[in-house]
Amino acid sequence: MAVLQTPERERTARGLTEPAGGPARRKTPYRWSALGFISPGVLLVAVLLYLPLLWTTFLSFTEYNGLGDPDWVGFDNYGDMFDDPAFLGSLGNTLLWVVGTLLIPVGIGLGIALLTWNLAGGVWLRLPFLIPYALSGIGVGLIWSFILSSNGALDQALAAFGITDTPRWLVDAPLNTVVMIVAAAWQGVGVNALLFTIGLQSIPKEPLEAARVDGARGFRLFGSILWPMLRPLTAVVVGLSIVASLKTFDIVQGMTKGGPGRASETLALTMYKETFVNSDYGLGSAIAVFLTIVTLLAAILYLREQLSKKHEL
Amino acid sequence: MTRILRTGILVVLGALWLVPVYLLLVNAAKSPLTFTTTESWIPTDFSLFSNIAEAMRLSGLGDSVLSTLVYAIVSPAIAVLVGAAAGFAIVALRLKHGFAWFVVIFGGTVFPLQMVLLPLFDAYSRVGLFDTQLGMIIVYTAISIPFSAFVMRNFFTGIAHSVFEAAVLDGATTWRIFSRVYLPMAASALVAIFILQATFIWNDLLLGLTLSQSDDVRPIVTTLSGMQSTYGGAQMSTVLAAGVLVSLPTVVLFLFTQKFFARGLALGQY
Repeated sequence: MAVLQTPERERTARGLTEPAGGPARRKTPYRWSALGFISPGVLLVAVLLYLPLLWTTFLSFTEYNGLGDPDWVGFDNYGDMFDDPAFLGSLGNTLLWVVGTLLIPVGIGLGIALLTWNLAGGVWLRLPFLIPYALSGIGVGLIWSFILSSNGALDQALAAFGITDTPRWLVDAPLNTVVMIVAAAWQGVGVNALLFTIGLQSIPKEPLEAARVDGARGFRLFGSILWPMLRPLTAVVVGLSIVASLKTFDIVQGMTKGGPGRASETLALTMYKETFVNSDYGLGSAIAVFLTIVTLLAAILYLREQLSKKHEL
Repeated sequence: MTRILRTGILVVLGALWLVPVYLLLVNAAKSPLTFTTTESWIPTDFSLFSNIAEAMRLSGLGDSVLSTLVYAIVSPAIAVLVGAAAGFAIVALRLKHGFAWFVVIFGGTVFPLQMVLLPLFDAYSRVGLFDTQLGMIIVYTAISIPFSAFVMRNFFTGIAHSVFEAAVLDGATTWRIFSRVYLPMAASALVAIFILQATFIWNDLLLGLTLSQSDDVRPIVTTLSGMQSTYGGAQMSTVLAAGVLVSLPTVVLFLFTQKFFARGLALGQY
């Protein structure tokens, strides 16, 4: 956890050595040189990320199809958005993604980290879970659409057990969203396990030994020592999962393209379709802004949780 | 729980986790002649390489591989240097309002990519960067910078300021201190960021889908995505073989550099 604590240590150090005003007060002889070193980063980020960000926000208040000039329409796009059943369906699917991604990959990831903890050969036993993480979303989508296609690998396996009346995995909604969440979980478990492992390894030995001497084992040890110590990291993993699931795009694009119809779209996919397929730039931008606000709220929630819990470590 | 039981559970679960990988490999290795969807579980023959060759012929996958390789090497390489320079300015040179500058750069990573797609598409079309390799390199570099600056700033705060002062006394210029003292000390952090960003770029779909069009510019994942819808049914084994080709580099890189990955991920948690 040492790496995790760096910023805090540094903040404390800053507070002690640089009261009121901080570094701003100190005269540095390297002002121009420092500006030279920081400007490439600031320029690239400003031009390629911030300017587009502002332009998208502006476009979300306009009617625009890429030709001519954008027409200012105020909040019309946002109103249309919430009247649109496709958007509402997409919103529901995205919520399903958030919940599913929280329960399955985070839960199993924690389980694997605990099982491999202090286990001989733990590194090797973790390996199978890490392979899918290195695959692209499209790669994962490709494998799972092959498995789940009608009379695909899964149906054949089930048929061997006499189960032939299988649902159409990728066609029936909301089943298709659920199986895609399973595919995403298959991919995401490894990285969560890795993060929890880093957390477990950084737990100081003394309280653990003390608890063991007191006879704490298994679930008791977990409940009284491990879980409280892991909480800051759990906040991080949960926050990252929420933020990532809100932006789900690749796997859905790879497996159903949001279909059939628009039944399995997520917000990220709906935004992409409205913008680049329907050329409704205003509506697409409004969805992007909405997605950004929700993402920021989630990020703030977990950052706050994380910062307030930090001092317990 | 006993160690044996724990190992047992992990072995079973691990095997289960590898089943989709097994299915991918077995079916990607079937020649289109022996490929039938009714025998997914049983290997028939080994035509993986001819399938890959066929995939390259069908879709311009070969051109994609080359340009994606360029994106995944050049962009993170520039980004780690730019990010390190920013970290150096803030930490070692004690740039005025350094933390505010840092927030400006790091803030770029907080927003979903969806916010920048349309304006980039628009602007790229206007200035002639749409569907060019240069355009892709620029955008991949820009999105890699915030994370790089974040990690490098953290890393440099761990270096005592007396190192910088000693170098100044020796008469070194700031550029020399950066390139000869700080960068070499940060080698492991630079590699960690590079690997992480290279993998993200290799696996990118959204930017490729939006900002490129032709075979020799399109990133490989985007080409694979296109193949999947174009050659779906009949050429399934070919498409799966393309999937193997696309996935292999990141999986190999990842498995060989797990430690760096773990470090990069731990650093990237804010």
